[in-house]
Amino acid sequence: MTKDKIKIGIYELTGCAGDALLILDCEKELVDIFKAADIQSFSMAKSDNIDGELDLALVEGSVSTEKEEEEIADIRKRAKIVVAIGICASFGGIQARFLDQKEWENNFKKVYGDLEMTHTKPVHSKPIDAYIKVDYYLPGCPIGKDQFLNFLTRMLKGNPPEKYPRPVCVTCKFNQNDCLLNRNIPCLGPLTADGCGSVCINHNLPCVGCWGPVEGANYTSEFYLLLEKGFDLEAIKKRMANYAGTRITGFFDQLNKEKP
Amino acid sequence: MKTISVDHLCRVEGNGGISATIDGKAVTGVKFSIYEGPRLIERLTIGRTPEEDVSISPRICAICTLSHKNAVIRAMENALSIQVPPKVTLLRELMHMGEFIESHSLHVYYLALPDYVGFPNAIAMASKFDLEVKIALEMKNYGNHIMKTISGRYIHGENPVIGGFGKFPSKEELLWIKNRAIQFMPFVFKTVDLFCEIEYPEIPEAATLYACCEPGNNAYGFWGDEIFLSTGEKIYKDDYKKLTNEFIVSHSYAKRSRYKGEPFSVGALARVNNLGERLKGEAGKKYEKYFNSRWKSNPLFINAAQALEILYCFERIPPLVDELLEYQEDPAIVQYTSKQGKGTGLVEAPRGLLIHHHEVTDGLVSFADIITPTAINAEDIERYCYIAAQKLLDKGQEDKIRDRMDLIVRAYDPCISCSAHMARVEKAPEEDWKNKLRQIKTSSSPLFVGIGNPNLSDDGAGIALARRLRKQGREDIILEEEIEEKGIPREKRNNRSLIFLDALDFQETPGKVNLIPLSFVLQNATLSHKFLPFLKSPMSNEQLKNSFILGIQPESIDQGRKISLSVRLTLEKILEVIQQ
Repeated sequence: MTKDKIKIGIYELTGCAGDALLILDCEKELVDIFKAADIQSFSMAKSDNIDGELDLALVEGSVSTEKEEEEIADIRKRAKIVVAIGICASFGGIQARFLDQKEWENNFKKVYGDLEMTHTKPVHSKPIDAYIKVDYYLPGCPIGKDQFLNFLTRMLKGNPPEKYPRPVCVTCKFNQNDCLLNRNIPCLGPLTADGCGSVCINHNLPCVGCWGPVEGANYTSEFYLLLEKGFDLEAIKKRMANYAGTRITGFFDQLNKEKP
Repeated sequence: MKTISVDHLCRVEGNGGISATIDGKAVTGVKFSIYEGPRLIERLTIGRTPEEDVSISPRICAICTLSHKNAVIRAMENALSIQVPPKVTLLRELMHMGEFIESHSLHVYYLALPDYVGFPNAIAMASKFDLEVKIALEMKNYGNHIMKTISGRYIHGENPVIGGFGKFPSKEELLWIKNRAIQFMPFVFKTVDLFCEIEYPEIPEAATLYACCEPGNNAYGFWGDEIFLSTGEKIYKDDYKKLTNEFIVSHSYAKRSRYKGEPFSVGALARVNNLGERLKGEAGKKYEKYFNSRWKSNPLFINAAQALEILYCFERIPPLVDELLEYQEDPAIVQYTSKQGKGTGLVEAPRGLLIHHHEVTDGLVSFADIITPTAINAEDIERYCYIAAQKLLDKGQEDKIRDRMDLIVRAYDPCISCSAHMARVEKAPEEDWKNKLRQIKTSSSPLFVGIGNPNLSDDGAGIALARRLRKQGREDIILEEEIEEKGIPREKRNNRSLIFLDALDFQETPGKVNLIPLSFVLQNATLSHKFLPFLKSPMSNEQLKNSFILGIQPESIDQGRKISLSVRLTLEKILEVIQQ
């Protein structure tokens, strides 16, 4: 029956390897799931990796070198379904914060000087959907264990993944936390996609937004709410941008237009 | 000339490779390359609040995330003059122990042990070491559990913050951690014996300098305000630059460090060598039993040192929990008013000294400097691989070089993330390029492609050669600039083989020529990038087999200089052969 198992490849581009590591940390569940699938490539876990046709490719990390540009195109060619896992692959991650090319170049020079790299050329960090079509996104920094297992089980059964079209606040309410915004703490829960189980607020700490923006996030409302509470305009923008990567550019453009 | 390389180091964290170049009886170079892309984390923190910095900078690495967390918090608390209550310090120490247990047990059992018992990986090893493999996994999970309980998540937990913790674990959770530590003790003793009794190979043995944190109070530990060197010197945290003059090498995005021009090592072995005499209790007894002078000069003993540290952590946890429980009240997060300051945080990550230096101006981060242990160790990894390769070569055991380099790199537990085991020994092609070129010419009428950069002296040799050939009336010539956009036109290619004319650094005397199969270069990550644009349309196997790079060793590739004499003379020779 091995012939019928779905073929999966797990790949890492530039990032902290946290998503792959989290998959490894689900050892107990993985044994069963890996029995049901045919893991063709997972370089963090095994050495006999094959780069062939795939049913499902899970890609972690952002595209940050020319070599990775080629790698991601190759993965797309070989895989029926490509899924971005983690915030870096989904939205570019923290390293996509330099929103324009010039800013990135200046910063690159400040770290590495004018040295030409011999192995592969660096490029401004971007999410994988800047290069290829992505079928599904599984954000998070790193991805959540429950969300991942739920996702993989559904894929194995041939079902599309469950969507999480709700902000962290929904789970946060179930967890009966006090709303931190009411206590004038700049929490990004209302803007951020659910999936972490509102872990930071459970620990009395504000959401940092590491799952990235939820679809249809009401930036404008949160932005003006924080302004009203006396936070500095630039500080709010920066805080919102920390993990949102390329997804926040649209809002900033709109904001610039609104301002006289 | 030969290159022996491990392109994708297996059973290490991250994407890296090591290669040694051998010319006759001498090893001419060793390169430890890290292929991860640049992320500019230090620059990302600028303009952020200290709290945001503490959230962002540990994202450098998922594996040592809590070491980074403790280091950046220590730096910030130093910068902003914050004193935390003892309960906070104790809980941070417990959290740190979790990461050490997780990281060390994974490394010694799953990554390192297979090499010494003759198995390709831990799963295969299970046939002989079933119990060890299973309990080691439990031990690793126990470390993970401590990290999750205290930091809030398995990876990138946000609970530790400047001034304390968002929430403290309950008494029950802490007692569970304590009891579990006691249950593990018999297996921990076994672990120490197992790894201290391994017969580590003698090569490489050479003295080096060791550096680690000075925990103070004549104690063993994982952080401090001074760096302790094996020479007896001590460097105060704010003067860390005296130790680490960072520099960049072009084959890696990781920065490197040297002390007074010499490489040095950090990590478990550095700590045990520098502080081992301070170990007490059972760990002290095991140290007395196993430590000897070989530990001081052989990096393979890192695994033994790690096992000893696992014991240190398990012995420390029960009294640590007891101390924690003496404090009834959970202290609130310490508030601060300072908006200005510079601070350095020194911490021992499982793989060695980790330095965070952060500066705050007007309440926002204005500068950050992060030096990671793998970046520090890179220089010594190269040096030890060089020593090992040369010694094995002298003994006529060239076949052992690749595996030994693999073993050395892995012992250092470098944190870079990967695993495909594709180590191989490559023979560079033979010297007789003239005959071979004649042969190719008669059998397959190849296309000549001139590539390079004419502004960079000898790098323009390929282009110059192609232009000369075209001037002499040849039509089978293509220049780099003509094909950058479209690839090589189909009607011209027509399944013909390609010969690239290019300057190629293969560490020979300037002007030497080497005819290298294209397939060899494509497999070599450090060279291949340049050629990829030419291969947009797929090549047939036959075509690839018959395609070559005619490489000329450059003398200089400085901007604006003309092509050097030695290379010009060579160009004449090549011209002659092609035109024959």
